[in-house]
Formats: sequence, structure tokens, C-alpha cells
Amino acid sequence: MEKTKVKVQMSEMAKREERWAWLFIAAPFIGFLCFMAYPIIFAVVVSMSRWTGINSLLGNMVGLRNYIEILQDEKFWKAMLNTVIYMIGIPIGMILGGAIAMGLNRKIPMKRALTTMYYVPVVSSLVAVSILWAWVFNYDYGLFNTIYKFLTGNHGPNWLGDETMVKVSMIIFMTWKGLGTSIILYLAGLQNIPRDYYEAAEIDGANGWQKLRNITVPLLSPVTFYILITSLIGGFQVFVEVQVMVSSGGKNYSAATVVFYLYEKAFEHGQLGYGSAIAVILAIIIFIITALNFWGQDKWVKTID
Amino acid sequence: MKKKLLSLFLVAVMGVSALTGCGNVTTTEEAGETSTDETAEDETTTESLTGNGDATLNVFLYMQDHEKEAYKKVLEGFVEEHSDEIKEVVFEVTTQDEYNTKMTANMTAGDMPDVFYVGPSAVRSYVDNGYILSLDDYVDAATIESTWGTTQEIYRYDGTAVGSGSLYALPKDLSCFAFAYNKDLFDAAGLEYPDPENPYTYDEFLEVCQALTQDTDGDGEIDQWGVANANQFGMSPYLYSNGVKFLNDDMTKVNVADNAQLKEALTFYTDLTTKYAVTPSVEQDTALGGYQRWLDGQIGFYACGTWDIAAFMDENTFPYNWDLCAWPVGPSGDGKSHTWMGSVGYAVSATTEYPELSAALVAALSTDEDGQKAVSGITTGESIQLPNITELAYGEFLTAVQNGELPFPSNVSILFNYFDGTDKYEAALQETDYTYNAEWFDPFWEGVTNIQTGDTTVEDFLQEVQPEMQDALDNAIELQNSATN
Repeated sequence: MEKTKVKVQMSEMAKREERWAWLFIAAPFIGFLCFMAYPIIFAVVVSMSRWTGINSLLGNMVGLRNYIEILQDEKFWKAMLNTVIYMIGIPIGMILGGAIAMGLNRKIPMKRALTTMYYVPVVSSLVAVSILWAWVFNYDYGLFNTIYKFLTGNHGPNWLGDETMVKVSMIIFMTWKGLGTSIILYLAGLQNIPRDYYEAAEIDGANGWQKLRNITVPLLSPVTFYILITSLIGGFQVFVEVQVMVSSGGKNYSAATVVFYLYEKAFEHGQLGYGSAIAVILAIIIFIITALNFWGQDKWVKTID
Repeated sequence: MKKKLLSLFLVAVMGVSALTGCGNVTTTEEAGETSTDETAEDETTTESLTGNGDATLNVFLYMQDHEKEAYKKVLEGFVEEHSDEIKEVVFEVTTQDEYNTKMTANMTAGDMPDVFYVGPSAVRSYVDNGYILSLDDYVDAATIESTWGTTQEIYRYDGTAVGSGSLYALPKDLSCFAFAYNKDLFDAAGLEYPDPENPYTYDEFLEVCQALTQDTDGDGEIDQWGVANANQFGMSPYLYSNGVKFLNDDMTKVNVADNAQLKEALTFYTDLTTKYAVTPSVEQDTALGGYQRWLDGQIGFYACGTWDIAAFMDENTFPYNWDLCAWPVGPSGDGKSHTWMGSVGYAVSATTEYPELSAALVAALSTDEDGQKAVSGITTGESIQLPNITELAYGEFLTAVQNGELPFPSNVSILFNYFDGTDKYEAALQETDYTYNAEWFDPFWEGVTNIQTGDTTVEDFLQEVQPEMQDALDNAIELQNSATN
């Protein structure tokens, strides 16, 4: 079919409406410029300086020196490794969330109550639940070690004080905190899968496992994709949990994350330039990972239509 | 494809933007474990005091609620006295966290309040970058000389070093980190109280700690310890009392690798935990910190900052008899008990329109007699800080303590000894107060735990940590000397 351009003469009313439309668009757009674009550009400029907040910004430009130093900075890499290790919790959370969602998708009693229970951690204050869990993990008085001692008679592990256990603790905590979100999303995804797919498969003699593998999992892939992207982005930005539960960054910096390190550098040691450079590097990493994900999604994300 | 790129971009933006939100989290700092945590009010308050004149002065500070009341009265008096000059004094008070953020914003915007705080470590940067005004022409000598010797020195700067030259601030307070002991535990163990005239040596201190370390309920586990140590701030006095200095005189070189005094003192300090077990273990300390154990009466000796005194005197917080004492003295120092002091000062903006009036206001906040009587507890019965005016400290304050009008430990003279220095006592600011930031000290403090858990030795640790500390110090020096505004 040939494309024809038809110029529509807009009525006065339509014109007026259009003006309003621009106004509505302008509000978030100006907000974006002021609160996103400008700070980001500013951060990039600062990242190329030794600005302290007190001295002169333009008098202390050092080019890429901060970046070069960060790449050789052991503490930065340690924090980066910790951050990546914490992401082990993402697949665990997705599998658990998917399984629980499938359970809740059946006609079981107390379904609403259960869903609410799983979702409560999500709506709770992160600082509050972090303090709570710091007590759960407490070496002498914690819930876990009390149970451990009751069962085995021995003293349990030093959850937050040991270099390996602190990572396990953080992963457990983050999985618990994020579980509700994946459950709700998966539940919505499951309810969107038409019943007839399963009926057709049943007629063809598919068993439960085959139905799960060939219908449920593929048709949930858009949800999985969404959870993956948001969890990865969130995973790179973990800060509050660490700051609250192991405020020193853990023994030999074993619990610190990239953002924790950034905060320490910029706000505790007054190195705003160096801190900004860490932020820019982090943004680039997040951008690349997200780009890779979008690029790869064609290969595994299936939609119903 | 275009749509995809756009969405990608937005996702990345979402990622970055979440970063900017992380500065607002308020948490209880572990470093402040020994401080009284009364910052429940998380808001900024602004009060306006008006007169009949033309001048508007902005005062921006952080303080606790009950302090604020005392200082508001001082300001009211000041406005009344200068009512023909002052149109308005805007008194804005916030929390310490919020304060730092706001000050950075003010500096960036070039919009400074007329009166604000400066700490000893910031005097150089603030002066070099032209933020604060020399008070030499505005404050009379009598006012300056009425304060502690230390506070007369630490806010002076001559363009190269802090300690002499022009005066840039008057003290809001002077504090020090003293040592305290639980009298009830001493009585139960049949021990003699520490003698304020003769601080313990390391050996004597260890002996007392061993006597205090007990299994009181007989279940086979130690539940009372001689001493608990309050993080890096509680470690330093042991080291200083053995003559330790981490930096050379001009604060450019770290001196830890081949520092015999440090090695000796650090060995003693870590042996308290590893070899002699007179402190809770590292694991026990992660479960329940020393401060909490001290409040629970499990600990013989614990650090006591001047700001802790009101809390420890409160029966509900600390239901034990206690008193102040001296930190133990090492064998290789000058034979004196050492600790560190802290202070924050009131400064006047270099860009103020009313330098004379602002300086007068600073003098009132710092040395107004009624104000000082209120915050030190002479008139209020609750001591937030020691008086800035020495005559008041040795006079009415001491009398109020001795008469029992002001709840305060009877060995109050120990604090004065540290402040003024005697043949047995000495105190100075921490070395980190003279460098641009304290980052160079972090690797040292963080690594000490590894000695206490037996993962490394004092000797190895000191060799390893030196280069890391030097790097961070070099960095701090570079920032200190960076191009100014």
C-alpha cells in the first residue's frame, strides 16, 4: 500500500489541546533536565577533577587520573567482587519466587494471607529490616545461632563477623527482602498464560514437568527478563543493607559494595572527584550489562503473541 | 531499534539516578558507639529573633535539642543587647549528617551563612579557600584568653601550619576521651580504686584487669572482663601513653613500620585480648559491643568521653557507681598518661556583611557566662560539656560538683589535668585532626582486628600496613594543597 500524506487541518480546539499536551510533556521533561541530565553531566565533569567540595573545581581538573587510579585500586576491586558475589542471590530469588508463585497460583486456602506475608518485607523500611536482621544474625544472641545451639549444642557461625559468612548472610537477607516482588510479578505472569495451552498439551499427553518446561517457563520469560534487569541494576547499587548491618564494611572490607566504597570516598573522606569517577564507572557497567541483556533477550524471551 | 535504544538509555538513567538517592540514609555510626545517641529529632529547625536595626545574620549549626534551648537564650540576650543594629538573627539548627551536606551545598553555591562551625581539621582548607574570616581584629584578647589553652591554639593558622598565627574560630566546646571504672566491680573483687595522682603502668593495669576478669555465675564461661576497648578512639590513648606518634612532625610521613614504641604498645593492646583474655573476644565484641557490656556492668574499665558523663550519671542508663581514672602509662613514653581531645569552633564567614557583629555573636555563643553555666550544668543540673571559660570551670563548676548540686564523677580533676597538662597527664588532638582527611588511619584500625583474631602478628602487620597508610596520606596532602578558589 502506498503511503499518502494527508494534512489534517486542526480545529481550534484540537490546537488548544495540543498546547496543553506540550505543557504536560514539559513538566517531566524539565524535571528530567534539572534532576537527571544536569547532575549526570556535572558528575562526569567532577569525576575528572580533584574537587573536594571546598576547593576550586575548575582549578583542579586532572583528566582521567581518577579513572586510572580506580582501575589500580585494590579496595575498589574488592568491593566490586563483593557486589558481584551478592548477585548470586538473584537466580536463587527468581527460582524461589517462581516456585512459590506457582504454589500460590493453585486453589489453596489462605492464598491472600500468604501473598501478603511474602510481600510484607518489600513494603517494609529497608533500614528497619536491616537492623532487625542484624539481630537475627547476631553471633551470641541471634535467632539463627540460638536455634543452631539448641539443635547441635555448638556455637553457630559468626554470621556478620566472618569474611565468608558475611556474604552468605547478605545474600540470605537480600533474597528474603526481594522475594515478594518476584512472587507478585510471577503470579501476574502465570495468570496471563491462557488455560487452553495447558489443555492442548494435556490432550497431547504432556506430563506436569513437560508442561512446566515447555509452556510455563517460556511464557514467563518476559517477567523473568524484567526481574533480571531490575535486580541486576539494584544489585549494583546495594548500599543501605551494608551500611546498617556491617557499618565498617566488614572484616577486611569483606562486606563492602561499590556504592558503599563510593560513599566512603566521597562523603567520609571528602574526595568528591574520586567518588564521582566510581559512580561514572558504575553507570557504564550497568549500561553495558543492560545493553547485553536487551541484545540477548531475542534469544530466550518469548511472548504469547 | 530506535525505541530499543531509548528504553536502554532510560534504564541506564534509572540506574544512575538511584545512586543519587543514597546520601540521605541516616544510620547510627558505629564509630560513635561511645557517644550518647540523642539525635532522634531528624529535622532542621529555624528560629527567627528580631530587633529594630538593619542587619540580618544567619547562624547555621548542628546541636542537640537541649543544647539548642541554652544557645537560643544566649542569642536572645545578644539580640536584645544589639537591638538597634540587628533586624533579624536566623538561627538554623540541624543534625550533624544534614549539616555537612548543607555546608557543601552552601560552599558550591557561594552562599555561606554568617556564622557556622569549623573543626580543627578544616581550618586550613577553609582559610586557604577564603571561607572564613580572621577574628584578630574583632575579638579582644581577654575573651580569647578566658578559654582553655588548647582551644586558643588549634584555631590559629599562619598560612603554613595550624597552631599559630591568626585566630579563625572560638570554641563551641573542648572535650576529651578519659577512662572510667566501675566501682561496684572493684568492691566486689576487693580491689583498691585507681589513684588519680598515680596512673597505672601497663603492668599494674593488666594485673587489675586479670583480677576483674571472672566467671561470676560459675557456669564455666567468663562473663565479666577487666576492660573493653572502644574501637579506634579507645585504642589511641594506650598508644599515645607509650609515646606513639603515627606521623612525623610535619605530618608528611607515616611512621609505623619501624616504630619500636608503637610495636610495644600495640603488642600490649592486642595481648589484652589474645594473650591475657581480659577483654571480650573479637566474636563476643561483634555480638554485643563494649559500650553495651559496660552499661550492663560486665566491664571493669571503659572509655568515657566528656559527652558520655551525663548518660553514665543517669541511674536508668548506668545503675552502678563509677568514677573517672587515667589511661595506663606505657614504659617507653614520657611517663605521662595521654589521651586525645576534640573540639569544634564557631567561625565567621569571609563574605559576611557584618563582620564585627558576627564576631561579637560568635564570642557570645562561645563565652557568654550564662550560656556556659547552662550547658555545663551549673544552673541546669545536667552537664552537656565542660565550660569553655577556665575560670568558670575551676570555680563555680567545680564547686557545684563538689557540693553535689551537679551530678558528676568526683574525679573531675582528671579532665582538667588532661586539658591543661600536668606532670602526670597530657592530651592533644588526634593526628587525624591535622590532615585533610582521616583515611590514612583506616587501614591501621581495620587491620588491628586481624592481630586480635590471631590471623597476623604485630610485626608483620606494621610492615604491611605502612605503604597503604602512606599512599592515603599522600593523597590527603595533595587534596590539602589543591588549587584554591
